[in-house]
Amino acid sequence: MSTKSSQALRLEVPTDFGFTEEHALLRQETRRFLNERLPMGELRKLADAGIAFDRGLWKEIAELGWVGLVLPESMGGAGLGWLHLAILLEEMGRRLVPGPFLGSLLAGVALREGANDAQQARWCPGIASGDLVATIALTEAGGAFETSGVAGTADPVDGGWVLRGRKTHVLGGADAGLVVAPFREPSGAVSLFAVETPNAALTAERETCIDATRPTARLSFDAVRVARDARLEGDAATAWNAVLVRGCAAIAAESVGGAESVLLTARDYAIARKQFDRQIGFFQAIKYPIVDMMCGIELARSLASGAAAALDAGSPGAETLARMAKAHASDVFANAVRKGVQIHGGYGFTWDCDVHYFFRRAMWSRAMLGDAIHQRRKLADVLFDR
Amino acid sequence: MSTRPEETESKENAEFRRDVRAWMAANKPAHPGFKLPQSFLEVESERQFEFLRAWQRKVYDAGYLGLDWPAEYGGKGDPLKRQRIVSQELNRAGAPFLVNVIGLQWAGPTILAFGTEEQKKRHLQPILSCEEIWCQGFSEPGAGSDLASLTATAEPTADGWLVTGHKVWTTLAHVAKWMILLARTDQAAHKYAGISYFLFPMDAPGVTVQPLVKMTGEGGFNQVIFDQAPMPKSALLGQLGQGWQIAMTTLTFERGAAEGTGGGQATPSESSIRAVVDLAQRVRREGRFAAEDPVIRDRLVQLWIQEEGLRLTGQRARVAGLNMDDRPLATRLMNKLVYSELGQNLTEFACEVLGPDAALWLGDPCAPDKAEWPRAYMNSFGVTIGGGTSEVQRNIIGERVLGLPKTK
Repeated sequence: MSTKSSQALRLEVPTDFGFTEEHALLRQETRRFLNERLPMGELRKLADAGIAFDRGLWKEIAELGWVGLVLPESMGGAGLGWLHLAILLEEMGRRLVPGPFLGSLLAGVALREGANDAQQARWCPGIASGDLVATIALTEAGGAFETSGVAGTADPVDGGWVLRGRKTHVLGGADAGLVVAPFREPSGAVSLFAVETPNAALTAERETCIDATRPTARLSFDAVRVARDARLEGDAATAWNAVLVRGCAAIAAESVGGAESVLLTARDYAIARKQFDRQIGFFQAIKYPIVDMMCGIELARSLASGAAAALDAGSPGAETLARMAKAHASDVFANAVRKGVQIHGGYGFTWDCDVHYFFRRAMWSRAMLGDAIHQRRKLADVLFDR
Repeated sequence: MSTRPEETESKENAEFRRDVRAWMAANKPAHPGFKLPQSFLEVESERQFEFLRAWQRKVYDAGYLGLDWPAEYGGKGDPLKRQRIVSQELNRAGAPFLVNVIGLQWAGPTILAFGTEEQKKRHLQPILSCEEIWCQGFSEPGAGSDLASLTATAEPTADGWLVTGHKVWTTLAHVAKWMILLARTDQAAHKYAGISYFLFPMDAPGVTVQPLVKMTGEGGFNQVIFDQAPMPKSALLGQLGQGWQIAMTTLTFERGAAEGTGGGQATPSESSIRAVVDLAQRVRREGRFAAEDPVIRDRLVQLWIQEEGLRLTGQRARVAGLNMDDRPLATRLMNKLVYSELGQNLTEFACEVLGPDAALWLGDPCAPDKAEWPRAYMNSFGVTIGGGTSEVQRNIIGERVLGLPKTK
């Protein structure tokens, strides 16, 4: 979907990343809240019981303003920038916050970029307040993240549309009250539609997702009748691209947080665990992978912050930086969980060790909205100018 | 392809950058027609040295060096940002490097931090103007990564010290007027406490400089033998026995973990990525340009991401709130490790892109880019080893930043 003209030739980031005391405060308060509300024991309880959507927790974070953080105030949001969101998501990633946050966030981006005023007024305030759980369903079988992969169809009928197709890996798809999804019209054009649930012709089948904290669903649209104004009236290509770019920046920030947690866990274990009468962190075979893990995380954090700052500044380099951040953060998170399990030895191989929860998150996040291989192919077109 | 990114900057700084850029365009010297060193690590001939010295002098006379050093020592007293702009523009213009690197980046800032008024007045200006070249006498045959086990000694005399010992890997010693020297002044003291830091005059009697040949076959670094070589009282920097602490400050500058340098930093940059893109667009592999090979494209993008990540990490290091509060120094202390390994990965990758032509060495008429790539790959080890090996850097980060148990 992204075209070269929309991509940056200059990767400008404001000198101070636009960072203010407000950002520092947000980090501090988020960390304090999550330390208290979602210690690892609590997360384990929810995940092991299969309660990915804890409505109590959802209500609390919605009241803190997280869900509507980047939606404009006119749509019921807090109107804050993407660097705020990056900081919030990094902290959420550290604690593996479960729930439908990301789906609601990306549906909000799609509506903001691709819906008309009436459509925004209808759905955005509910999304921002958390009352309306929303999601976006970009992927079909085959896993493409481009409009070319859209096979689902939208046929005009009297006073509305009939939607047919099957969407996969839909974030929180079984819990959402609103699904934003692309369908192909008879003209061949792809449009985004906002479908309210429940709808008798729309079936959500829960996927058994490797990451129990972020479950997904397969959605079957079996001739779903929607009204004419279910079609988002803005430019679908622009909205789709915004979801991809902003989604990449968001997942990158969250992945940095997840990787950071694994780093600290591995570091602490290397200090606490003794073998051969020494702390294992003394051995360079353990020390060096931990150091390399940290260096990778720091680069990814810089890219994620840079992408967020570029989005806030409206820099033309934002898309390139967001793709770089997603590619690198995916790799770094995947490396962190891999080394993280290994460094914990036999204990790392058990359910008792916390690392596997992060491992699962990394497995899912790395593929979301296009994995590193996909992102780098896009970036190569920029680097090689074709 | 993106151009060198300028951070969003003030009107004054943007104007300054425009001036520097225009000056570079007008004054950057043409290639002299003889082989130039790739870095300060291989300045071997008189004409190479004189060419580079004249260039640094020109940059200084234009007012573009020592910008953040105090005016009374030959600088300008401007914010550090200005010097950073000059370094970026030097890099961007593809200008020759500044040959007095050890003076500008290591010795100068250390003297600024620890020198007496007299030492600052004596030494700093000639560093900027390139009248006096500096070298570094830290490593010894038996003291490499374990630097503190050094054995060179400075015996006190009535009016100074006599130095006896053996220093190695002394880049630029053959043209240097001064050396920053670590020598043991107290044999009885603890390993670290017995070391002092001196500003040693290289023209003293009893000093022998012998060239060492690098793995590329080039000269430019040396070993230095001291046989009762005298230095005056004024050579001592800081306090007696404070040498280790001061040396750590020098190494912090050397590894790019602290700024404050007279100018001319060179790290893997967007322009070095661009150079490999350009190479891939010229070189043909299996009937098509290397730039069309998806594997080549993917690998170069990986390096580009690292380069941008490193650049933004340098920028982020200056925004305290975007650094982890449990390891505020991480983004600075990792700099040397990451950029040296990135430089090595990039130059090795360029050799891979070249295919069999990477085997053509200096002097072969068909060697692409005059064999610059295999030469640069070999020279990259000077950076992953010099200034503390990558392994030493990993120990430092592991122990000082992450709090892992000490190896020694």
